[in-house]
Amino acid sequence: MDAQAIDRLVIEAQSLGRKTLPEPDAKEILRLSGVPVPRSHVAKDLSGAVEIAAKIGYPLVLKVVSPDILHKSDVGGVALGIRNAKELEEKWAEMVLTVADESATSMIEGFLVEEMAPKGAEVIIGAVRDEQFGPLIMFGTGGVAVELMKDVSFRLGPLSKKEAIGMMTEVKGFALLTGYRGETFKDIEAVAEIILMVSQIMEEVVALKELEINPLLVYERGVMAVDARAVLK
Amino acid sequence: MSKKNIEFFFEPGSVAVVGASEAPGKLSAVIMESLLSSGFEGKVIPVNPKYSSVKGLKCFPSVSEIENGVDIAVYALPASLTLRALRDAENKVKGAIIVSGGFGEAGDEGKALERGIKDIVKETGIRVIGPNCMGIFDAVSGLDTFFIPRTRIARPQRGSLSIISQSGSFAITAMDELASAGVGVARVVSYGNKTDVSEADCLRFLSEDKHTKAVAVYIEAIEDGRSFVEAAATCASKKPVFAIKVGRRGAGSAAALSHTGAIAGNYEAYRAAFRKSGVMELDGYEEFIAACKALGSGSEAKGPRVVIITDGGGMGVSIADACAEAGLEVPPLSEDLKERVREGLPSYFSINNPIDLTGSVTDETYADALDKTLSDDSFDIAIVAALWGPPGLTDELPALLSERAQGIKKPVLVCSPGGAFTRSKAELFMKCGFPVFQTPEAAVKAASILARRAPRRKG
Repeated sequence: MDAQAIDRLVIEAQSLGRKTLPEPDAKEILRLSGVPVPRSHVAKDLSGAVEIAAKIGYPLVLKVVSPDILHKSDVGGVALGIRNAKELEEKWAEMVLTVADESATSMIEGFLVEEMAPKGAEVIIGAVRDEQFGPLIMFGTGGVAVELMKDVSFRLGPLSKKEAIGMMTEVKGFALLTGYRGETFKDIEAVAEIILMVSQIMEEVVALKELEINPLLVYERGVMAVDARAVLK
Repeated sequence: MSKKNIEFFFEPGSVAVVGASEAPGKLSAVIMESLLSSGFEGKVIPVNPKYSSVKGLKCFPSVSEIENGVDIAVYALPASLTLRALRDAENKVKGAIIVSGGFGEAGDEGKALERGIKDIVKETGIRVIGPNCMGIFDAVSGLDTFFIPRTRIARPQRGSLSIISQSGSFAITAMDELASAGVGVARVVSYGNKTDVSEADCLRFLSEDKHTKAVAVYIEAIEDGRSFVEAAATCASKKPVFAIKVGRRGAGSAAALSHTGAIAGNYEAYRAAFRKSGVMELDGYEEFIAACKALGSGSEAKGPRVVIITDGGGMGVSIADACAEAGLEVPPLSEDLKERVREGLPSYFSINNPIDLTGSVTDETYADALDKTLSDDSFDIAIVAALWGPPGLTDELPALLSERAQGIKKPVLVCSPGGAFTRSKAELFMKCGFPVFQTPEAAVKAASILARRAPRRKG
């Protein structure tokens, strides 16, 4: 991982008075740590978005970028499976209106135009920095209902690989990675690596208070962090 | 800060009691009384400028006047007088136990006084236990600074379990209960506000202490989490360490900016810390006492396989249910073992697991069944639920069971539910060194704690 580059990114955000990092910056931390993330760029206007889209290629995802919006899909801030420029224009217009309507006071920094990752099993990997004990790492079944299901496990960092595997086997949703009801066996090894990486990032970047990947998509081979957030001290 | 070992606190050659008095009701009077009557063999030196002698011992006006110094000094003074008296002890004592309250727990003025203690620790190298604590009850050396009279809180006999506690009242309540249950202790430390000596210091000492075979910890809050994890892991790698954490409420913040922040409260961090260090977490007071009884008896289980022996079928099934719930195994007896247990018994005895010896049971059949099953390789723990209805059971039963179980070296837990008559018989079991439980649930909790310790859980 490129700890120096991550530090620069965090320090710059702090100097801007930010308390949280928006999705693109959080993902940049992951990318600098070697965690696979989809290709993406932030667009400030529609023509910019169309240009980025041409470079990345369809299908695409369009997401609102705002430090004030925690649940993007709740405010109509996520559009999946955009197949061409015409659809991009439509979704852009629709999203600008809906988000303005649903979340009128939120500051919008732009829209993320992102490569559409293929479907996979969804897990969450998160970390908070406990005042007494330091980084506390969480693994669980991912998605929007994380707080409802609370199918999660915790360990104190820094983690060993054995602990990372232990965290995974402890949650009910582990079955979703190991061939539940005809599903294929997923890349557990890769998930363990990401858990270890989140632990390592928290050890090295002390200005981070929380870091979260949700969901991390898990495939037969490899993983992809399709959404992330970070909270600063 | 000096990292001097705290071992000297526990078997001191001499103890000064600062603020010593004979006035009934004074904490210092109780402490003097305890030190002089508890079998403590070290020298006891009263310190108080108001008296020339206390309890027939020469009384010094200040610790600084004690020519050759003392190992430890116990301070039972008002908070406002403590700092000055502690400074007087510079170069005269290695350690101080400050039992007085009125410090960090008592507003801004108290907080300032406590910072003063911290400074003195830094400047003089005196190690301090407390303030706002009971101090030490040590069944090995007889040292007893717990200022509650023995008529109110009984002291346990000498044993191999050590208890460390942030709360004084929790420590004495547990001690009193263990004393009644016939469970012995080695060292009990109540460290209160832990200005200097913390749970990590105590765990480091206990991990090396040859008199301590198991450690029970009561925790409200830990300041230096990582140092705790390190000390607890060292200790737990050598002997069972179990802990109760109170004040668990305060889940993650509802206003959190991430899902993780919303779910992860401070308690999750404690649980993860216990897990990382190999400390067994206990759920509530009842389980804490059950664990003390189980681990205090000194026997260790090699696995989770339980044989249940009873003379009341219903109680046996109830224990079996609780075992299943707790993740313990209650495997059936092998045909060969069944055959051996059945030898000499009437055909209507149900030789299964639970083994129901029915109303025709005698002391001898009980002892036989326990001996044959527990010595078999297929079992790790026995729960004996002796119900006292059958006329064939006599006061000899506990001693007979103890005699036959002696050589087997596996835990035997006695479950003894019932009223006044049964409770009086429970005493007999305790006298023979059995951990005794009032309910099937408590006995099974104890068994599951022993089993949890068995295959070290990692990962």
